[in-house]
Amino acid sequence: MTSEVGFNPVSSINEEEFHALKHYGPVTSLKIHENYILAGNGSILKVFKIEKNEKTRVVYSERVLKRNKIHSIVISSEGKVCISGGRSFAMINFADLISNKQFAVIERAINEWIITTEFLNENTLLILNSHNTIYKIDIINNFKLIDKIHCNEKSILYSGSIRKINENKIIIAAGTVMNGCIIWELNSRTMLHNLTDHEGSIFGVKIDNKGQYIISCSDDRSIKLYDFQSGNLLASGWGHGSRIWNLEFFQDTSNGFKIMSAGEDCTMRIWQYLPNQDILQQLQLWEDCHRGKHIWSADIDDINLKLCVSGGADGKIRLHDLSNRGKLNNYTLNYLSQQANISFKKNEIIKSFVELQSLGLLIIITSGGHIILFDQESHQFKSLELSSDESNKFEGFGLMQSFNDINVVAVSSIHGEILILEFTSFNIPPKKTWINNDILGKNKVTNFMAQCIGDTYYLFIDCPNSKIPFILKTFKYNSQGFQLENTLLLEQPQQTSFTTTDMSIDLKNNWLIVASRYVSLAIYDLNSTERLIPLSKLHKKISAGDSITSISIIESSIPQEIILLTIVRDGIYMYIRINETFDINIIHKNNISRGFIEGGYIDNNNELILYGFKSSSFYIWNETKQIELTNVLCGGANRLWKVIKYNEDQHQMIDYKFLFINKSELNIFTFQGRFIKDNYGLINEGTHGREIRDVTISPELLSDNSRLIMTASEDTTLNLSKLLCDGSIKNIWNLNRHVSGLQKIKFFNNKYIGSSAANEEFFIWKIEMINNNPVIREYSRLQPSNDNPDVRIMDFDSIPYYNGLLIATAYSNSDIKVWYFDINNAKFQLICQGTYSTFCILNITMLQIDNHYFIQIGSTDGYLTIYDISQSIGLSSPVRTISQMIIKQKLHQNALKAIYIKPINSYTFKVFTGGDDNALILGELVYNQSNESLQFNILSFIEDAASSTITSISNYDDNTIIVTSVDQIIRKWIHTNNELQCLAATYTTVADTGCCDTTTFNDQSITVIGGAGLSTWK
Amino acid sequence: MGKSSKDKRDIYYRRAKEQGWRARSAFKLLQLNEEFQLFKDIKRVVDLCAAPGSWSQVLSRELFENQNHSDAKIVAVDLQPMTPIEGVTTIQADITHPKTLQTILDIFGGEPADFVCSDGAPDVTGLHDLDEYIQAQLILSALQLTTCILKPGGSFVAKIFRGRDIDLLYSQLSYLFERVICAKPRSSRGTSLEAFIVCMGYKPRPGWNPKLELNKSTEEFFEDSNIGKSYNLEHFELPDPEERKIAKFIACGDLQDGDSDATYTLDNDSKIGALDPVQMPTAPPYKKALEMKRRGDLVRR
Repeated sequence: MTSEVGFNPVSSINEEEFHALKHYGPVTSLKIHENYILAGNGSILKVFKIEKNEKTRVVYSERVLKRNKIHSIVISSEGKVCISGGRSFAMINFADLISNKQFAVIERAINEWIITTEFLNENTLLILNSHNTIYKIDIINNFKLIDKIHCNEKSILYSGSIRKINENKIIIAAGTVMNGCIIWELNSRTMLHNLTDHEGSIFGVKIDNKGQYIISCSDDRSIKLYDFQSGNLLASGWGHGSRIWNLEFFQDTSNGFKIMSAGEDCTMRIWQYLPNQDILQQLQLWEDCHRGKHIWSADIDDINLKLCVSGGADGKIRLHDLSNRGKLNNYTLNYLSQQANISFKKNEIIKSFVELQSLGLLIIITSGGHIILFDQESHQFKSLELSSDESNKFEGFGLMQSFNDINVVAVSSIHGEILILEFTSFNIPPKKTWINNDILGKNKVTNFMAQCIGDTYYLFIDCPNSKIPFILKTFKYNSQGFQLENTLLLEQPQQTSFTTTDMSIDLKNNWLIVASRYVSLAIYDLNSTERLIPLSKLHKKISAGDSITSISIIESSIPQEIILLTIVRDGIYMYIRINETFDINIIHKNNISRGFIEGGYIDNNNELILYGFKSSSFYIWNETKQIELTNVLCGGANRLWKVIKYNEDQHQMIDYKFLFINKSELNIFTFQGRFIKDNYGLINEGTHGREIRDVTISPELLSDNSRLIMTASEDTTLNLSKLLCDGSIKNIWNLNRHVSGLQKIKFFNNKYIGSSAANEEFFIWKIEMINNNPVIREYSRLQPSNDNPDVRIMDFDSIPYYNGLLIATAYSNSDIKVWYFDINNAKFQLICQGTYSTFCILNITMLQIDNHYFIQIGSTDGYLTIYDISQSIGLSSPVRTISQMIIKQKLHQNALKAIYIKPINSYTFKVFTGGDDNALILGELVYNQSNESLQFNILSFIEDAASSTITSISNYDDNTIIVTSVDQIIRKWIHTNNELQCLAATYTTVADTGCCDTTTFNDQSITVIGGAGLSTWK
Repeated sequence: MGKSSKDKRDIYYRRAKEQGWRARSAFKLLQLNEEFQLFKDIKRVVDLCAAPGSWSQVLSRELFENQNHSDAKIVAVDLQPMTPIEGVTTIQADITHPKTLQTILDIFGGEPADFVCSDGAPDVTGLHDLDEYIQAQLILSALQLTTCILKPGGSFVAKIFRGRDIDLLYSQLSYLFERVICAKPRSSRGTSLEAFIVCMGYKPRPGWNPKLELNKSTEEFFEDSNIGKSYNLEHFELPDPEERKIAKFIACGDLQDGDSDATYTLDNDSKIGALDPVQMPTAPPYKKALEMKRRGDLVRR
């Protein structure tokens, strides 16, 4: 390199060739303004409107900075917006942002990193740079610098804020990298305080608008509150599990002084300062606000919208309710007995309860045989009149079920006699009917279940004696009321441990499915005319885990085939297909890492909602969106609890009710979420919360003009999503089955996918479609070569072979293995293996030419090595050795990071490689039929094809390829005439750019780029 | 990762423990030297951001033991305290402070340095643009001291992250040195963005008198140096394009030295077993939070 002035020739070329479609990546700034939320989603500014009816809408979304991410947004009192990030800033009128009109944004810059900005007045902007210096700029007169102001302490800053107490009193709070917080006054240019109570760097420091307090957060995981005047430390807040990035003040101080914090641990917390206490009290904790790591940005409006908003590394923007619509009411037994005017026996406890939502009634049965009615509207209790004979039947035992649509409650006694109660209101006594039981005899009921399907009501009784049949009673409701229609007897599975836990009836096929402990399912065909309906099929231990907690039919459109959502308490959920011979096939299986799942359902937006217990709380979780809806402390997994989902048409302002008994007290938690019907408060969709290591797009175009796309992240998760033709990516499943950092993911064909990771993990996944939506399960996994696997499977490739695939896997210890994978029995057979050297292999590809099989590897030593494995392949022989190295050529100085092989015809291939050394190489592989040999020639070599490591190459169209590199420039290279030439180069906001894949929609190529986020281009 | 799995995952980690280096990064400097003969004819050396001190260890062994320069002077500077190293003067100080420069010059008896190196890196936040900016600031801080102390023709080596704006730095350095090379030692993991800028043949900017002053930011320091940095324009227009260059890339270290990305099988007969690290990690800023957590003082709700 010479010392002449120069410009990197490959950093910006024909940028208009690239059209950025969609971007999913870190949300670096958020600002609530009136009924709007402004968000910096990388270099894209988004504006969301919060509508009155708990709905949200995007009103603006444009890339406003060329390269830099938006780290700060401030708004003047008259509606001027200043966005800034990196060295850039830009001024926009807020009115323009919400006007729906096109307008240009002029990006400006200073020569240093901007920490934040503030308006001194409508004519003057203050910019705080990373060297603790304020630029005072006249924004009316063509951005003239008025002054540069500092306090003689130019420490480098990580954070800072400008507080305008009035136009003559401007205070700068500067968070330094290693010298604590510097508080100084602009006009006098004097330092007021240097606060050094924190250890390490300061990531946030702010002064409240009255100039009373200073808050700061840091590396040391604590929050500090100072008195502004004296600089004295008032209190510290401890609780965050890692670094804290953000702090905000509550505006309303009528109920005490409060602070919101958010950080690396993906939690948001609300703190209160109690005068004269040196520890801040933590009032609220919201965990798992985002995926992976980091809440990068947050804001709060506790006055009008009563919302917090958070933005994560996962690209999501979430709204969090501050209005506290979740309410927990608690009733002691003593209170119940007083209110209902009955006396409880010693040790009398609540045995069961149900709620009739439309009447607002709660019906409770106690171990003393009392039935208590609770009118939740008027807060009145009363006891249901029962004769002593009736009451005695429920002495020590009573199980309740209800049919909410008709206000019917059924109570079972220990021997299966059923009391039917038909309610009309709290004040009118219910109609009582007894249904005797002559089947159970002295046997005891263990489970009493209810379901309503169509116009039929079912009650199911289970007793532990397997000789006694299950009893299924069917009812109809008509003008005469609730009428018993039929009693069916079902043969119990002849085994000791079939303890039923849930049931589901499929009306279309008239099947009954009963779930039990030990993850077993029993299926009955209710069309049977036999007196004792035989068990059609029993499926034992269909998955790991203890107990199925919930089953529900989600699809039965095809006759004699149904799909059952099955939930296992230990954190597993499955979609199970049951066919006409009652055989089952698990078509989807995934686990969540949040404690126990007790149940779940699919909501109106086709999203999966799961709920259960996690340590000492109960949670409701949106699995599709990967967000928690609510969480209530309940003392851990309870024996007696109920969750009720309120429907939209019900007049109550409730989304969920969770009833539970804790310490023998009745607790009722009512939860009204916000934006539930709209988007659950997730106003911006995102992706993985950590760097994306690989991306793969399905070869199949679905009938809705989308393609499946899978991404693999370093946090061990995989995403299965849909890529739409406009470049948007709609996440469908988040898969948690890998336990170590992912390396590669690849579609073998439209149904099967491979994924590889550290710890020798290699999985094959199978996709099936239900109504154009994919379900996925782990189909097979490679057994590690030893008990303590420590090698990484860096890459793999496959070619079709007999009834399956030949799969080559490449390892970090330089091993190469070739397997035959039989698609039908999902088994791997090791065919041949070898070792390249001691270098880590980074990529592997396979080629079949006539009857010859070749493997190409690229490794950290920069070599391309080709083996002929034709002689090592055979299904019947013992494992052979890969030894025939036919080509070994040094292409790159250091690691050969990326390779793409493009077939030109059956015997000629173009080979593109990219390296850690910035070089891009076009080579040619030619197969000579006459002597059956393969030759490799370099056609074109570009030494400086990027200013940093080239990480991936994908085919764009016949003549061009897309190349990504960690300099965050994506480039399009043309390779006609066997020469490489850079056609276009443009900047991408996706940092750590590491992978790409390209597909086509209606002949239009679309490229997906992954790294610290995802972006799509055409 | 446990001790032994790290041993298997990284051959250099294990070898550093065996050879008594305080950190595996010692091999990076050794391999850079193999390629560029950085240690040839050097007697006055400054090691910036030196803690825990493995580069100073390398320099000490090289200058005193291998080259027998009994009059060699090595100064190691860091904000963190450092365990003493034979023949190395350690200073706990800020590299941007003029006093630090004066202290080093005093130790050198007023003579300029032959070689300045820096293996410093900040704790990353995870925000790539911010982390790259802070790293660039660290390099510029090292560079400003270097321009005040390095002899014409001397060399400067510093750790870089090859992120989005690295070509700006390459361009600026090329004004100050005859040769600017991006070097990647084999001992630096391929999966990391880390590399080293090797700048040889210092050529002071004509007419520029670099002077460390309190309260001068790095940008202000280089303001008159004419090294192609973009400065504030009259109306704060976006400087576009900016001067960017791609430095020549050179991989260094013998291929036989071992691959830091490869998994190695530990010799089962080896009696050494898993080794303890030579230098235990220093106290992190969140030490108190960890202690509170251990004691159960962090109330979850």
